Amino acid sequence: MRRFTSEELERYNGKNGRPAYIVYRGLVYDVSESFLWQGGTHQVLHQAGRDLTEELETAPHGPDLLDRCPVIGIILEQEK
Amino acid sequence: MAQVAREMVAKAGVNVDQLVELLVKNAAAELTTFYYYTILRVNLIGLQGEGIKEIAETARIEDRNHFEALVPRIYELGGELPADMKTFHDMSACPPASLPKDPRDVESLLHVLVDAERCAVRGYSQICTMTAGKDHRTYDLALAILNEEIEHESWFSEFLGEGPSGHFLRRGETSPFVSKFMK
Repeated sequence: MRRFTSEELERYNGKNGRPAYIVYRGLVYDVSESFLWQGGTHQVLHQAGRDLTEELETAPHGPDLLDRCPVIGIILEQEK
Repeated sequence: MAQVAREMVAKAGVNVDQLVELLVKNAAAELTTFYYYTILRVNLIGLQGEGIKEIAETARIEDRNHFEALVPRIYELGGELPADMKTFHDMSACPPASLPKDPRDVESLLHVLVDAERCAVRGYSQICTMTAGKDHRTYDLALAILNEEIEHESWFSEFLGEGPSGHFLRRGETSPFVSKFMK
């Protein structure tokens, strides 16, 4: 499985035809094909290319909806 | 635009541009759902389909009412609808409620209907959370729509055997919660 740094992930923000990837609990999901992630933005408030673990905690849906999108990698934890 | 009304919402801490964009996206979802539900409704035929046709029709009309009720608030807050209908369709807050490949598969139609309602319930819950205690008029409107979307979801869910809805069919006019915004 592909490994991403946070810097690499930021490039996959869904803008200008680039794929849209998001992170939830360490896994990288490809949301490019989702109607709800067009242009790398979800419901105005959420941007692709980021770790959305915290944002998903307050979303009006659970992480189960991510099951519709393929997992394509993992995020590497930053060295402290 | 209702200048002071917008100012009050901004002063309460709401990002008005984000809110307006969400309202436009949800208005798009309502109008496109009205369109797609028209197709679903006419395909609800046969012994199974005819039983669902009435609630599908009620949900269709109420979704159109939601669109009508949202539009004034969008303009009050300084927003506008896109001039191009295709742009409007493509920016919808919910995916198209398209007819399943097999239009005779009533259970698939029900899944399309319940998924659309669940998307709407999530969307208006989000708007209520954003506006609670801050933008009273948008909150009141979003809550009224949410009340109806929750009922729609429960109707279709009941037909899928997920559990009793606890609701009855509408008696009389449609949109018992939203109609006050349409007078």
